[in-house]
Amino acid sequence: MRRLEVDGLPAVLAPVSGPTHAGLVFRVGTADEPLARRGITRLVERLVTNGRGGLVGPEHTYFHVQGSAAAITEYLAGVCEALRDPPTQRLAAARERAGRAERDPLPMWRHGARGFGAASYPEWALPGLTEDDLREWITRYFTRENAALWVAGDEVPEGLALDLPSGERRPAPAAATTLPVTPAFFPGETPGVVAWDTVVRRGPHAAVFANVLERRMLDELGGTGRARTEYVIRCDGTARIAAVAEVPPDQQEAALGGLVDVLAAVRAGRIDPDEVAAVVKLTCTGLRESESRGARLPGQAFSLLAGREVQSLEEALAEVRAVTVADVAVVASEAYDSGLLMTPPGGTAGWAGYAAAPAMSETVLAGRTHRGRGNRTIRLISGDEGVSVTGPDVVASVGWESCVAMLAWPDGARHLIGEDAVVARIEPSLFRGADRVVREADARVPQRLRIEMPPRDRDRIPRPEPAPRTGAGRLYATLTVSGLFVLFFVAGAVWALIRLLTGLGDTREDALALAGSLAFGAFCARYCWIAARDLGSLRKGPHHG
Amino acid sequence: MIGSTDVVLDRAAAYPEIAGLRAALRRRDWPACRALIDRLEPSARSAALLECGDEQDAEPFLRGVLNADPADPAATALLGHHLIKLGWRIRTGYAAEHVSRGQAQQFRDRLRRAELLLIDGAARHPGDPAIWTARLLTARGLELGLAETRRRLDRALAAQPNHLPAQLQFLQSACPKWGGTWDLVHGFARDAAAAAPPGSPHGLLVVHAHIEHIFGDDGTDVFRYLSNDAIRAEIYEAAHRSVWHPEFRRDHGWLQALNAFALIFTMLDDRRSAATVFTALGDLADEYPWNQVGADVPVQVLQARAWAYEGES
Repeated sequence: MRRLEVDGLPAVLAPVSGPTHAGLVFRVGTADEPLARRGITRLVERLVTNGRGGLVGPEHTYFHVQGSAAAITEYLAGVCEALRDPPTQRLAAARERAGRAERDPLPMWRHGARGFGAASYPEWALPGLTEDDLREWITRYFTRENAALWVAGDEVPEGLALDLPSGERRPAPAAATTLPVTPAFFPGETPGVVAWDTVVRRGPHAAVFANVLERRMLDELGGTGRARTEYVIRCDGTARIAAVAEVPPDQQEAALGGLVDVLAAVRAGRIDPDEVAAVVKLTCTGLRESESRGARLPGQAFSLLAGREVQSLEEALAEVRAVTVADVAVVASEAYDSGLLMTPPGGTAGWAGYAAAPAMSETVLAGRTHRGRGNRTIRLISGDEGVSVTGPDVVASVGWESCVAMLAWPDGARHLIGEDAVVARIEPSLFRGADRVVREADARVPQRLRIEMPPRDRDRIPRPEPAPRTGAGRLYATLTVSGLFVLFFVAGAVWALIRLLTGLGDTREDALALAGSLAFGAFCARYCWIAARDLGSLRKGPHHG
Repeated sequence: MIGSTDVVLDRAAAYPEIAGLRAALRRRDWPACRALIDRLEPSARSAALLECGDEQDAEPFLRGVLNADPADPAATALLGHHLIKLGWRIRTGYAAEHVSRGQAQQFRDRLRRAELLLIDGAARHPGDPAIWTARLLTARGLELGLAETRRRLDRALAAQPNHLPAQLQFLQSACPKWGGTWDLVHGFARDAAAAAPPGSPHGLLVVHAHIEHIFGDDGTDVFRYLSNDAIRAEIYEAAHRSVWHPEFRRDHGWLQALNAFALIFTMLDDRRSAATVFTALGDLADEYPWNQVGADVPVQVLQARAWAYEGES
């Protein structure tokens, strides 16, 4: 392996056994995108490559080509030219081609609606991105100073010219966190899927741990489903380890229980030395094979960009071979402590010692209150600090200062997304006088954070609904009030009856009072009975142990 | 008339290790407890740890034992059962519909504490069936779902095939009141009884399944249910494979097996069969499943026993 410089770019070159290939990498990825620009890096990549050879990761974007020296030279020259002078006439086609990306919900729960968390969001901004937005993004990130090159071959292809605009090296994005406590959990949305991720110090120990974990998970599932783990290094010296298990939906609770147990076991230090030895051996084989294909070169180019030393194969092998069971146990314990678990839909992992990841705001911002239409339990509050939407046991507050994007629909709805991923939904159809809040939001949220959304179908626009009547507290209240009325009317009826039977007072009047008391009493008793029945159905039968 | 007028409901009378363990626990003598527990066969061990979980004020003592050795599996299972029983006591001290929100919270809190302890215990000792048996109870109380309950049963059975204490717990969890179905209950009971070696007490699973079905389902017409030939045949077959089998021994589960058959034979109006199991039981009986028939278990047992022996006099 050699280090060299090509047209001012740092480069690594290594001979390979297979075909020659090369790649141009930039220090930019989805973690650099503000939510209101989400998808812009992929759009640039599509525009520049016409759909061939580009890949966008969280922190890096690269353009990769395999073939003859001439083919490599032509492709990379084409990429550089397109970056200098973007073929904007292809913008519509590129936008179309960008299509839908697979989304992983865990980053949003860990990092919020910014940085690494943006990867969990749809590319809402894509249709509205303009030529100017693209040029601005390219000028900022796709520059000579922010790039590196790798060549898997004997020589740098003759005539290779990388004519990139000048700029500056962009530092890696910082990983913010919105989790106040870990280990934490949140309920996922896909039946049959449980997932977990963690952030640990990067290194061979962590990589080996990720593979050991995958083996443990497969062993635990015992053929009922699929499991895999992923180890992704980050520029800040950490790595994300993610694990996913997919099972038939009727097995999802067992998959959760199994994952909880696997994590508890590795945390307790129950790590099989044979398994570690097997993983170390496989990792070494994998490294050697990667080296021979030149598959380690992209990682080495990333290191150049980060200003880190490039590791030779021997160094990498020695590091992996030195990993002990004790090293893996240390990683396992760290990994457990900062873990984030995604349970099946509607599930919880509170029973296993995981704290619920915050799904809403802690405080209601001060301001003017707009009540719900036909629903007294919901409120929209707008003030100097921001907007809050509240409902039974729910608070969503987004401050004007911490708003990272505002989705704006033609029907007037505005969704404010806070950096902590909380969404305050301003729905004019649900609140009285909400137009005023919409105008305030339009005035306060900067244009660059605004995302214009396509018109919604009528049935997607929320309609006012009466408050739900299922809470136990409400049922108890109904029961008490109607119960008191029943007692009152029964007492009245008894009094009237006594007067009738004893012949005291006016017979007609008493008969009327008796009939009235019985009628109203029966009416209240019915409410009383319904409340009692609903309360009963909230509970389960007794137990035998 | 044959038979005693006493009804002894103390399981320690049938299983002497329980009396020994209780005494050692009261002396706060953990080495003696361990010596006793470690001698037991796995089913008897799981059952003794479950049974002794109700020792009063054992928590500080057991916490002390675990502080000295956090990996002690017997102390983990025992403290787990202790916390679980504290939890259920809060809940079952009242009729289910009168459990207040605060009590429900306390109940869940106790069970969560038990579960956290047991997660750690299972992580260290994945092959200890007593820990998995305790985790079947937490899975039920915390409503972790049938698939997870089944996984825990499978872990217990992997540790010891036909592990009866775990199977008895799973049978409860498989009932409709906990989210299961009658088909699941009967299928499980049949398969588990058939899988156990002849002469083992596992036939009682079949009986428990029918008793749960009769008393746990308001729609069951007891008379019609028990006059079903297939059901009767299944019960007698289970008796022949367990309590009436020449290999039937006084190993763990014998009391519950004889006791369950005593009730079901009484309900089947089969005096002679009932008398055989009452004779084997002597004074002894067990709360469940007599407590499904009525609150006063000794009276129920005495009446049934007297009726069974009347046919013989």
